[in-house]
Amino acid sequence: MTVSESQSRAAAQGRPRVSWPVLVIGLIIVVPLIVLLAQGFKYDPRDISSPLIDKPAPDFALQTVDGDREVTLASLKGKPTVINFFSTWCLPCEQEHPMLIAAARAYGDRVNFVGIVFEDTRAKVNQWLDRHGGRGYPVLIDVGGPAAIAYGVYGVPETYFVDARGVIRSKVKGALTFGTLQSQLEAMQ
Amino acid sequence: MNALLGRLLIYFALAAAASGAVLALTAGARPTEQRTKLARTLGLAFALACLLATLVMVGALLQHDFSVSYVAQVGSLSTPTVITIVSLWSSLEGSILFWAAVLGIYTLFWLRASRDRVDDPRTTSTLGVVLAVGVFFTFLIAAVANPFLDTPAPIPADGPGPNPLLQNHPLMIVHPPFLYLGYVGMTIPFAMAFAALLAGRVGPDWTRSLRHWILAPWAFLTVGILLGGRWAYDVLGWGGYWGWDPVENASFLPWLTATAFIHASMLEERKGLFRGWAMVLVLTTFALTVLGTFMTRSGVFNSVHSFTQSAIGPVFLAFLAVVVLASIVLLAFRIHALEPGREMRSAMSREGAFVINNLLFVVFTFAVLIGTTYPLLKEAFTDRKVSVGGPFFDDFAVPIGIAITFLMGIGPALPWGRATARDAGRILALPTAVGVLTALLFVALGIDHFVTLLALAAAGFAVTVSFRDMFAPVFARRRAHGGGFFDAAGATFRRTRRRNGGQIVHVGVALVVAAIAISNSYQVKTEGVVRPGGSMDVGEYTLVLGGLRAVDDPHRHRQFADFVVYRGGEKLGVLSPAMNHYATSMNPIGTPAVMTGPEHDLYLSLMHLDAQEVGLRAYINPGVMWLWIGGLVMLLGTLVAAWPERRRARSAARETEAVAEGSA
Repeated sequence: MTVSESQSRAAAQGRPRVSWPVLVIGLIIVVPLIVLLAQGFKYDPRDISSPLIDKPAPDFALQTVDGDREVTLASLKGKPTVINFFSTWCLPCEQEHPMLIAAARAYGDRVNFVGIVFEDTRAKVNQWLDRHGGRGYPVLIDVGGPAAIAYGVYGVPETYFVDARGVIRSKVKGALTFGTLQSQLEAMQ
Repeated sequence: MNALLGRLLIYFALAAAASGAVLALTAGARPTEQRTKLARTLGLAFALACLLATLVMVGALLQHDFSVSYVAQVGSLSTPTVITIVSLWSSLEGSILFWAAVLGIYTLFWLRASRDRVDDPRTTSTLGVVLAVGVFFTFLIAAVANPFLDTPAPIPADGPGPNPLLQNHPLMIVHPPFLYLGYVGMTIPFAMAFAALLAGRVGPDWTRSLRHWILAPWAFLTVGILLGGRWAYDVLGWGGYWGWDPVENASFLPWLTATAFIHASMLEERKGLFRGWAMVLVLTTFALTVLGTFMTRSGVFNSVHSFTQSAIGPVFLAFLAVVVLASIVLLAFRIHALEPGREMRSAMSREGAFVINNLLFVVFTFAVLIGTTYPLLKEAFTDRKVSVGGPFFDDFAVPIGIAITFLMGIGPALPWGRATARDAGRILALPTAVGVLTALLFVALGIDHFVTLLALAAAGFAVTVSFRDMFAPVFARRRAHGGGFFDAAGATFRRTRRRNGGQIVHVGVALVVAAIAISNSYQVKTEGVVRPGGSMDVGEYTLVLGGLRAVDDPHRHRQFADFVVYRGGEKLGVLSPAMNHYATSMNPIGTPAVMTGPEHDLYLSLMHLDAQEVGLRAYINPGVMWLWIGGLVMLLGTLVAAWPERRRARSAARETEAVAEGSA
């Protein structure tokens, strides 16, 4: 009783007693944990590295969706190329498509842009393109998916950055932002 | 219209929570009737606004109002109605709105339950802390992850539908809400502990009330974890129910500390021991639920559960930091103000067992926490990705689990105060004998794995103590008063209900431990490729592939492989594991098929399927059924313990119970 009385008196005089062990032990446990969790934001757990990075990009010869023109990767050499795998049933693809169109307009003279349709039909893709910002660059249909298999596409959207010599320099999973696109392109210059 | 209405309700809830929190926390320090009343009204307004906003969202989902951003994101005209309703929690924004609704419900319950305690400043402070948590969640909804945004024009005619995993199994409809009820429910005990520390006063009444408030979320969490295990078992198709996935761990961590608190609180209530410690456990439990939510929502951890990376992570981390730092500072300043507890008289006593129990639970919590965060630590220092596998966790979970199971028998058997070694020997002789007999029985059944036998012995030991604890007073009463067994049981159980509830939970835990021990050590697994008409053997079963068939639902295409199951030439039935293709997802999702029995489950899962052949994985999982039965027993025990007493009978029952337990 006397202990608690003296405590309440101490509190009443505005000198609250602090339990330093509680404070110190608590902070020792908690602060590193929070710092560690904050570190986690720097990494993306979905960042799956591709064995194709720094290897020559697999060639492809595919038809465009709106005509019968054939496009090959070999025909695009000499300039860096952005290869975007997408499909109409994927929401992030919708989000990034208008940005890609705008980027193709901005970089079109220095960089090739190619879209490759993943597991989808010609008719659906054409409709989809009309609804989501049109076609500022060739969109190719990958019937049976040989290109997607050659590139090891894990899930759409997935974008590969191929340099002027035809070497895959990096790949980005998920919807691209303009900032990411810009930095990837700059890294290839 | 729906979007605007939802936004307004959320802004209103935010305003009510913010003003209510400030008012309640200042009123808690200098209570006046007027301020308390106003704070409670604001609490009510917050709760109702959160519930209404959620109803608006459910309405928008049902109307397929694609002008609401969240509906455009998860809605689809082809989705069945039930799935449309539950897509409320299928994605980030909706799940946080649902979270706020659950907090609203708990707030309403707290307001109602604390009507006759409004004079206690701790009641008002509790409301203040609950509303402060409410401020965070409504802010999150309003500013960071708003589901009520306007869809930019043109408004789509149809949407993609929710995550396919959600549509794949009915358990997905109930598993997340149970976890939410558990997680969010921990807000009230947290607020109560916080308020008690602010006031510098705990006391047996407050502790008992706190335990009562933690029992409900604890039970929800228990059920949620088990349903998650059941879901993994029925859907993911790898033949197991628990994979130490970061998010599974996230739900297990607060369960561990809440369980530790439930035990510590009995020491506090009855003996005035470890007052501050019990508060530490409650505060930690809430912090761990926030950590758990952070893990699912931040995208920092990779798991089957996590949503995509979003801006919400840093905000949640900031909230977590505020919660833990505020808790630590408050504890450091106020722990002295709590009246110091009495000394423990002897380690060989029920108190001693409780202390060891708490130590084990804390070690368990730390080990799981370290295992879960280790990949982050490794990546931060070496820039390499690692994952911590099941074996790491099993290495400590098995011995700690077995020790806790033994202790579950020792604790209730020992008396309060002090026991001599001879007393202890006498009391524990029978349970020990039953434990040894249990192990021998399973040896006779063909189990020869030492650790498994040890776990089974521990389970038998603990179950014996639980039953003796429940029935010994019945026999004692019959000896004293005569009469029939059922009369004596009726009279006794009325007095010992709460305690018996605890013992029933223990029996459930023992079943769960036994099921885990057996199923983990004796799984049989076979893989192979089967063509129609061909067969595959697993254990004593022969599986003949009768045929393949396809079923088209509006939202998915399913392919079934029908296996006829034979044992010793006798046809037992047909199992049809399936592959499901969803329009919105590129990878097919398998659905395993299970034939359940008390001895073992036959579990079939497809690896691939085409017109010519089927890649099949077949498992024999022994004892798994007892895991779910054990879970149900735990739930039953919690219901028995937490069932509200009639108000008048309450204080009388408490006294007699105290007397009964003192003599037990």
